[in-house]
Order: sequence, then C-alpha cells, then structure tokens
Amino acid sequence: MAAPHTPFLNPGKSASSTGDSVLVILEPAKKAEYSIFLAGLEKKGYSVTLRAPKEEQPLVIEDGVPNFSHVMLLASDTKNFAKDINPQSLVQLLSLGTNLVLTLGLKQNLLTSLAPEFSLLLPPPATPLVSFFPERSDSPTVIPIDVSSQSIPNDTFSVLSSQVNGKVWFSGTPFALNSNPLVFPILHAPVESFAADLSDGSGLVSDALADASEKGGEGLWAGSSLAVVAGFQTLIGGGTGHGADAGPGEDQQARAVWVGGASLFTDEFANKKVVEKVVQERGMKVVENPSGNKQAALEIAGWAFQERGVLRIDEVTHHKVNQTGPVEMYTTNDEIVYTIRISSFNPLTKKWEPYSGLKDLQLEFTMLDPHIRTSLPPVSGKPGTYSTTFRAPDRHGVFKFAISHKRKGFTHLHHTLSVPVVPPRHDGYPRFLSAAWPYYAGAISTSVGFLLFCVIYIAGEAKEEKKSKKE
Amino acid sequence: MSTAFPLPTDISSTTVANTASLLRIVAFGLISGAAIASRLFAVINFESIIHEFDPWFNYRATRVLAAKGFYEFWNWFDPTAWYPLGRVVGGTVYPGLMATSGVIYNFLHYFNLPVDIRNICVLLAPGFSALTAWATYMFTTEMKDSSAGLLAAAFIGIVPGYISRSVAGSYDNEAIAIFLLMITFYLWIKALKLGSALFGTLAAVFYFYMVAAWGGYAFITNMIPVHALVLLLMGRFSSRLYVAYCSWYAIGTLSSMQVPFVGFQPVRTSEHMGALGVFGLLQIVAFASLVRSHVSSKQFQNLLAISVVTMGVLGAGAFVVMTYKGWIAPWTGRFYSLWDTGYAKKYIPIIASVSEHQPTAWPSFFMDLQLLIFLFPAGVVMCFRDLRDEHVFVIIYAVVASYFAGVMVRLMLTLTPVVCVSAAVALSTLLDTYVDASEPDVPEERTEANGSSASDGKKTKKAGAAVGSQAGASAAAAASSAISDLVSASKSNAQSRQKGIWGADARLVILLNAIGMLVFFVFHCTWVTSNAYSSPSVVLASTNPDGSQHIIDDYREAYYWLRQNTPQDAVVMSWWDYGYQIAGMADRVTLVDNNTWNNTHIATVGKAMSSPEEVAYPILRKHDVDYVLVIFGGLLGYSGDDINKFLWMVRIAQGVWPDEIQEPNYFTPQGEYRVDDRASETMRNSLMYKMSYYRFSELYGGGNALDRVRNQQIPKVGPTLDYLEEAFTTENWIVRIYKVRKEDPLGRDLKTANAFAQGKKRKRGKPVSRRRAIV
Repeated sequence: MAAPHTPFLNPGKSASSTGDSVLVILEPAKKAEYSIFLAGLEKKGYSVTLRAPKEEQPLVIEDGVPNFSHVMLLASDTKNFAKDINPQSLVQLLSLGTNLVLTLGLKQNLLTSLAPEFSLLLPPPATPLVSFFPERSDSPTVIPIDVSSQSIPNDTFSVLSSQVNGKVWFSGTPFALNSNPLVFPILHAPVESFAADLSDGSGLVSDALADASEKGGEGLWAGSSLAVVAGFQTLIGGGTGHGADAGPGEDQQARAVWVGGASLFTDEFANKKVVEKVVQERGMKVVENPSGNKQAALEIAGWAFQERGVLRIDEVTHHKVNQTGPVEMYTTNDEIVYTIRISSFNPLTKKWEPYSGLKDLQLEFTMLDPHIRTSLPPVSGKPGTYSTTFRAPDRHGVFKFAISHKRKGFTHLHHTLSVPVVPPRHDGYPRFLSAAWPYYAGAISTSVGFLLFCVIYIAGEAKEEKKSKKE
Repeated sequence: MSTAFPLPTDISSTTVANTASLLRIVAFGLISGAAIASRLFAVINFESIIHEFDPWFNYRATRVLAAKGFYEFWNWFDPTAWYPLGRVVGGTVYPGLMATSGVIYNFLHYFNLPVDIRNICVLLAPGFSALTAWATYMFTTEMKDSSAGLLAAAFIGIVPGYISRSVAGSYDNEAIAIFLLMITFYLWIKALKLGSALFGTLAAVFYFYMVAAWGGYAFITNMIPVHALVLLLMGRFSSRLYVAYCSWYAIGTLSSMQVPFVGFQPVRTSEHMGALGVFGLLQIVAFASLVRSHVSSKQFQNLLAISVVTMGVLGAGAFVVMTYKGWIAPWTGRFYSLWDTGYAKKYIPIIASVSEHQPTAWPSFFMDLQLLIFLFPAGVVMCFRDLRDEHVFVIIYAVVASYFAGVMVRLMLTLTPVVCVSAAVALSTLLDTYVDASEPDVPEERTEANGSSASDGKKTKKAGAAVGSQAGASAAAAASSAISDLVSASKSNAQSRQKGIWGADARLVILLNAIGMLVFFVFHCTWVTSNAYSSPSVVLASTNPDGSQHIIDDYREAYYWLRQNTPQDAVVMSWWDYGYQIAGMADRVTLVDNNTWNNTHIATVGKAMSSPEEVAYPILRKHDVDYVLVIFGGLLGYSGDDINKFLWMVRIAQGVWPDEIQEPNYFTPQGEYRVDDRASETMRNSLMYKMSYYRFSELYGGGNALDRVRNQQIPKVGPTLDYLEEAFTTENWIVRIYKVRKEDPLGRDLKTANAFAQGKKRKRGKPVSRRRAIV
C-alpha cells in the first residue's frame, strides 16, 4: 500500500510544476537581445535572476542544495565560466532535480565536453548548420525550420504545440543523437542542411561534401537525422523500489534541453519575418509570415521547466477481488485488483488534474522475471484511474507490482511495491479429497474390522474358556 | 574369608541401601551441577548471547513462535530470507527446539516469571545437558549397573565432544537432540528387555520428538532396525523383540510423518527403507514361527528356505524398481558423502564448503574425548563378554558411530554418548574389581586359574546393584576412603577365589592411578571447554600485551550499523554464512542464508562476488541489492574471512555457470592463490577482491600494506570501485559494507559516469552513417 505521496512542490505562481525561480546565465551586455523571451518567462510567473558567466554569485548549488528550480545557460559563446559552473556541477544540478536549458555556441566551451554525456554528437568546432534551401537573402547559416513537418516523439504528446505557427529561425550547431532512449529530438534539422565551416568562403563547403560523399556520408553531420533542439529526461526514480529507492521519486526527475544556438531565443529571430514564395494561379507570390520563434522559445523552455508532459502517481492500491482494504500478503492463485491514480500538471490552471490519457500503461508482477505482464487500462468514469485484475501466479515468493512507463516527452512513471505471495495456510487446503477415497475406505474398513474383531473376541472368549476347561 | 582392609560389619543392609540411594542422588545432583556450570563459561567470559550462525535463526524463529503462537509459526512465510524467493519456514524447519523453548517460555510466564526469551534460548542447552546426563545414566544402568551409570553420566556431563555443541548460547538442534537420542535408545532397550508395548510406545513418542528436533533422527531410524536385524540374524528373535519393534516403528513412523518438514519421507526415501524392511521382515519371521509351531520341522525347513529366498528376491526387486521409477527418492548427496569423503568436493561443493562436514582430524578425537577414547574399546570388549541384547546394541552403535565420526567432524557428537557409556562400563568394572575388599581364600591353589578381573567385576555386580552404584559415586566424586569402606561393607559374602588381588596397597596403586586419570580428565575438559568451545564467534576475544582480554566486536558493530542506518526493507547481500546473523541481528533482508536450500541462488551470489563489477552490477540490480557485506580479516589476521572462503564461491558459481566462472583463472600461472601484485587479472577484478582491499593500502599511508592472514603485500595502488561505494567499515575492518549505487541519471554506465565526475574527457564521437559506403 502506497500512501499518497506528497514530495511535490506545491505549484507556485508559475506554470512550472517544480518551481518558479529561474537563473539565466547571460553576458549582461546581451540582456537586451533576449528581452522578448525573458519578458515571456516573467509573464508566465517565473522569477528570473540574471547572472554573468564569470560572476561568483549567486551560486547554483549551495551546501549541496540547488538555489534555483531551473537554470538556463544562454551565454553560449562564453569561453570561461565561474568556478561553480562546470560540466560536473551541471550534471549534479540535474541529479538534484534542477531543470536545464543549455545552448551551444560555435566555439568550444564547457558544454562541448558535456554534450557527449547526454549522447549528443557534436560536429567539429566552428561548423554551423548550413542550408542553401529555401532560396533566401539571408546567410546560409540562418535557416528557417518547418515545425509542422517535425516528427512527434509519441502519438499523444509533442513539445512544440500547434500554436507554433510557421517556421522557426535557427542559427547554430546541429548535433547527431546516439541511441540513448532518454534523449529525443524536439526540432530536427532540415533535410537539405549539413554542418560545415563557411568561415573562408563557400568553396570549402563543396569540398567537405565531396569528401564525405566519397566515404558514403561517413563523418558528415547532415540531414534530418540531426537535431537542433533535443530534450533529455533524466532517469532518477528507476530504483529498486526498496530501501532508499522506495517510492516513485518523480520529484527528482529533471529535464534538460539542448539547443544548437542561443539565437533561437533572441528578439532578432522572434521579430524576423519568414519570406515564403507561395505558388498561386498566376506566378509566385512572396508572403512575409511572422516567425514562430517567440512561441517556440517559450514552449521549449516550458517543456524543460516541466510545464507540460508532467505526470505523477497519486496513489497505488491493491486488494483481493471482492474485498476492500489492503492485505499484508497474498496467497498463491488469489485474484488481485491493482489500481493506480495518475495526475498530470496543467500549466494553465497550475493544478494537478487526473489524467486518463495513457493508453499503453502496463503492470508487471515480478519476481526476478515478470511472471505477469498485463495492460493497465483507464477506468471509464473515474478520471485518472487505471485498474486491472489478475490472478497471482502459483508460485510463492516476494513479488513486486512494477509500473515503468517511459515515453519521450513525458515524465517517467516508475513505481514498485513489494508484496509477499505465500502458500496456503495449513488449514487453507481442501479438507476432503474425492481422489483419496481408497485411503478413506481403507481406514474405515480397518477400523470397522478391528471393532468387529474385538467384539467377536470378547464375546467368544467365554466359549473358548469353557472348551479349554472341558479339555 | 579375609579382606584386604577392615570392613564394618554392624551395618544393616537397609542402611547400606538407603545411604547408597542418597549418595546416588547427591552424586547425580553434583553431576548435573557440573554439567550446567561448565557450559556457562561462554556467558561468564563473554555475555548472554546467541552463538555462531544457525542458532541465530533458531532464536529468531523462537521469538516468532513466542510472540505469535504455534499456528502462526507453522504458517510462517519469511519474505526477508532468500529474497526474492522467500522461505516457507514452517515447512522447512525442525520445530522441536523452538517448540521446547516456547513451551518453557509460556510455562514460566503462566506463573508470572517474566523471563526473557533470549535467556531461555541461551540456557536451554546447558539445561538439557543435565537431562542428557540422566538419560545416559538410565541407559548405562541397563547395560551394567547404576555405578557405571553414574560414571557415564559424569562423563557425558563434562566431555568436550558434547559440550562443543551445547554451551550456553549454542542454541542449536543438537542441544536437545542428544538427550532425545539417549532417552529413545534407553526406552528402546527397556522395551526390548521387557517386551513392553508401553516402553515401545514411549520410545516412539521420544522418537517423534527427536524427528521434530533434528535432522539426525535418521541415525535412530537406522540404528534400531540394524539392532533388530542383527538380533534376528543371531537367532534371537523373540516376541519381546517383535512387540518392542512393531510398537516403536508403527507409532514412531506415523507420528514422525506429522512433522511438516518430514512429511512422506519415511515411506518414500531410501534412508527410511531399512526400518520399513526390518518391520516387514519381523512380520515374516513372526509368521514363520507361528507356522513352525503348527507344522513338522522337516516341512518347515523346506518352507522356510523357499519363502526366505522368494521374499528376499521380491523385496530387493521391488526396492530397485521403486527407486528406479522414482517412487522412492534416491539417496541424497549428503548421504553419499558419508561413504565417499571425496564425493561432496566433486559434485556438491556447497556441502563440502562447510567446515563441520570435513573428515575428522585424529587429534580432535583426543581433544574431544581424552581418556575416554582409550577406555572406549575396552568397554566395547566388556560388552562382548556378556553379549545380552542390549550389549549388541552398544556394539553396533559403537561401530557405526565410530565410522561416521571419522567421516564428518560434526558426527563426533553422535559418537560421544556411546564412548561415554562404554568407557563408563570399562572403568566401573575396573573400580569394582579393585575396590572389592575380598581376598582369595586359598592363595596356594592356582590350578583353576579361570577368573579374571573382568569376571570378578561381573560377579561383584551381581552381588548387588547398590555396591556398584557406590563405586560409581566414589569414582565420580573422587572417592574418599570412607565411601570405600561403606562399599566394602556389603561385600561380606565374597566368594572364594583362586586368583585375585592381595592387600590394600596393590588396590591403592590402581585406584589412585584411575582416580588420577579421572582428575586429569576433569582438568582437560574444563580447559578445553573454557578455551576452545566457549567462544560465541560473534564476539571475538584477543589478549592485550598486558594479558588482559580484549573484545573484538566488529560483527555486532556492523550489524547494528545496518539496523540503525538503513531502511527496514533494504536488501543486504553477503556470503551465505552471514545470512542468519544479518537477519537476526540487523533485521534486514538477505539473499542467501545458512539454510542452503537453493544452490542456484547461492551460486548467483557467488557469481556476483567473483565477477568483475560491470558483470556483477546487473545481478545486484536484478535482486534489488542495496548493500553488500564482506568479511575481511587482512588487517587483524582473522583467518575466517571471505577471501579465504572465496574459492568456494568460485567453485559453487562454476557449478552453475561453467562458461563464465572458471576456478583456474583465480590462481597465478604458477597455481598459487595470491592477493598481492602477482594475483591474476580475474582475481584482481573480482568484486570480492575489490571490496576486500578497497582503500586498504591507504591505511598504511603509502607504506607496505600487509595482509596479515595471507602474509602478502598488497599493491600500493588499490582497486577502484565504480558501481559500489563504501558505506561502512568496522573498527578492525572485519566487516565492510558497500552500498550499491543507483543508475546514472543520464543513463550512462557508472564507470563512464565516474570517469566524467573525475573530470576525464571522453573521445569525440562521429555520427553513424546509415548507408554503407559504396566502394
């Protein structure tokens, strides 16, 4: 029986489920470039603190406790940071439950060495994403990316909502993703794009492409398999369900978002129009659409700050069929009812609401290996409740009810609960077996025979005596 | 008639009998006192604590029994043992010991004596040793007389061979089992002598108690049938034998099947088939003798010959067929290892790894039995002189137990009672002969020199039981001359002899010598008990330079640390030796324990211990292990540590995963078992090695880190741990506890994560091409 756990921070003023305070690490000189984005954050209720990269205060971690709920690293081109900001401390922040937004620059800095830890493969330094399509007057490194053509991490959830209209301007470094199930692309690079060094003329580009094509594309950062924005959900909570690992531990789960270039958040890109040629009946028409950057920047940060796709387990109950109330242990072959209540955070109302949207939730009944794996469907009429009934295996031991729901974009749901399954009690077996009739018959006939013998023996004794006397 | 020394003649035989009876009671009281007192060394030297390993489980089970009652105990499923398999305790335990303590506990509490259950458990074994002394007295009295009985009682009371398993705190099945063994044998002899169904039934009742108390009950199950069979073969079949055996077997077998752990074994396993076979044979023989009384002897001879052959063939054939078909379980490995001492080492390393299953070393016979071991054959020979039915029993018992004691150290325990009985018979015969004051009447006539000292003894015995008991009492209580006088008083009707002992001086020499040996025996027993058998092994003792005692309490330090600092349901992995202690003292979940019922599970732990970290980690996570506990004696020179047991872990793991774990890899190319810089790669990478020597060289501050058990230098750069972190190490480093680290939040393997945390940079990667290069 898991009591409803309350390790969650109470939702505050902001749209985030984990806290309001945001630390933005940014060169003071560049503050003005991000005014739209920062204003958007404050409008959502966040309290934003700015800190220069080399400033010593405020510390991100003080006495082992993080000072902020979210940290955003917009100083992408800074080479040196203050002592307390290093790859190790950033990973420690994540493990302490602080969400991160990390923006890569073209130069090498601490994030370059941090990226491989998140299974990101960065191209060599100073090789930005280049695309010559669509034809436009801007530099080939400033690329409009179509949001609507993006693949969605799963069928129920996408980080960039439909409110992000049109295209998003991007300029910066792309990255390839290793096969780590925790990382997923939020924004892919366009199909025609590739990473190349354009610093001394466009002639080199073709060389790089030609070299790579000779090797069958090996070593070339190119195509839509690259991402420019990637989300990362940390794994804490994947414990044993025992001892120190008991409980769900969602409170420790943190998110990190890697963005290829800080410019995605700038006012410049937010205001920059996307020039598109629309094919009409009579020739082409040039249309200027507003870019989706403003909304996209807030939504990317919003996902990182755990506004959307945040789930939690409110309560787990289990009992025998036709009984209520918890039991300490089950007997083999008992029918067990398992119920779980799940909520998700609504950033608009800033409240936890029951969530019935999970279609693929599974329950495992495990002892070393799953003995039973069954789907855990939502109960109609009870929002947020998922329940199933199954028969305990004919095997005694310490079993675990295990929920492990890990979907890209969502908080991981992980919950284990141990319960012993014991053999029947000594009086729990059937008393009378029809198969044992030969034995019953044997016992009864022997008893009756013995009784008869005694009666005959005792009754016949007198006779016997007389006889012997006569003799 | 002449006597060697003056005897009072004016004492009535009633007075003699009464005094003898009083002295017997006093002597018996003293024997009980000595038996209990010498077992209390453990409590006085250390404290009132449960000893060793198995007793901790018995103690824990007893607490459950006392707290929740018998039915709950019977249905007790222990989810904290053998995690995650759990253990059905009620069905896998001999409940006799716990039930005994539970009854005593409830009895005392009924009379408002609030005795702690722990003290009952600690003092149960000494208490039962007094009962054992009584049972041995009764048994030996049946063999010879009550003087031999008192001697035997005194011997069994203080002999180290029995004390080793019954000191205060040694709360194990053997504590009550030896008493039950002796009382069952006594009742069997009594039943056989009297042909009494009552005594046969009593023997069955105690046999049931024995079955409920100790797995060694199979010894009785086979001893009594063998005795009956030998009597049959000696042509000593009688209705007494028939009544005694049948009442014992029928009731004993039926009642023994009521113990859940035994269940249907008495009719299904090979170990019990002998008893069943003899039971059947007795019916046939009884029937045959019935037939014989009705038909002529010639017919009978033929009938007998044919039927015996037929029955024998049919019986043996049925046994083979049933074994082959699986209706009768084949012999177990433990049984085979009784015949072939190398069997266990080859096929069942888990049995061979237990030190008490090793063959006995010769010195331990002397250590455990001292004087008795050379009186023992003499006593057996005495039994041959008089060869009554009960003497046959002692002879068989002596032969069988001697063999088993030679095969397995722990079976020394079953040998001890018969040694005490035989030695008492021998010594009391000696004393009877030499205390007897009568002298041969006609020293000149030496032609009919038939009588020997032994026959003298026999005659004196027949002269009166009271005399014998006097002699026994005098021996036990280091006889004074006054008692000798009393003894001799009843010997006024001594018979004439042609050969014998003249004078008091010759007697005195022998008697003083015998008494001197007994005194030495007492000193030896006391010394061995206090020095060798009274250590709880949970608490170790060493001596300071100034001679004072220094207590090493690392085990309890570690277990209490676990108890205080880890969550209630934390899973602790250790080698199985420490499972019961962790469950008992730390109250934490264990993977394997001393109830070694699942070889695979133990092999899993062995594999985790003998594999490199990255192989062990998935095993640890799969079993939800939170802490790993190892015993390390290298700092203190404590040789019973895990590195010394390590090869057994390797062997047991190899038995299940021969492809992954290979014993030779843990040796140097020269075939040495080393832990220094010449240790093999596999050895140095194994989890056990790493956990044992983690940061060990730092303790010496860069100096020479010396493992004092193996006397080897540990390399200055010690092993590193990525998947575990040190959680606790006790004062003397005997127990080291490691915490299993959780998965990395970024999904990396912990080795990489650790390297990153230490600031090591990773090699740059390249995206994998999805197309193959066109050549």
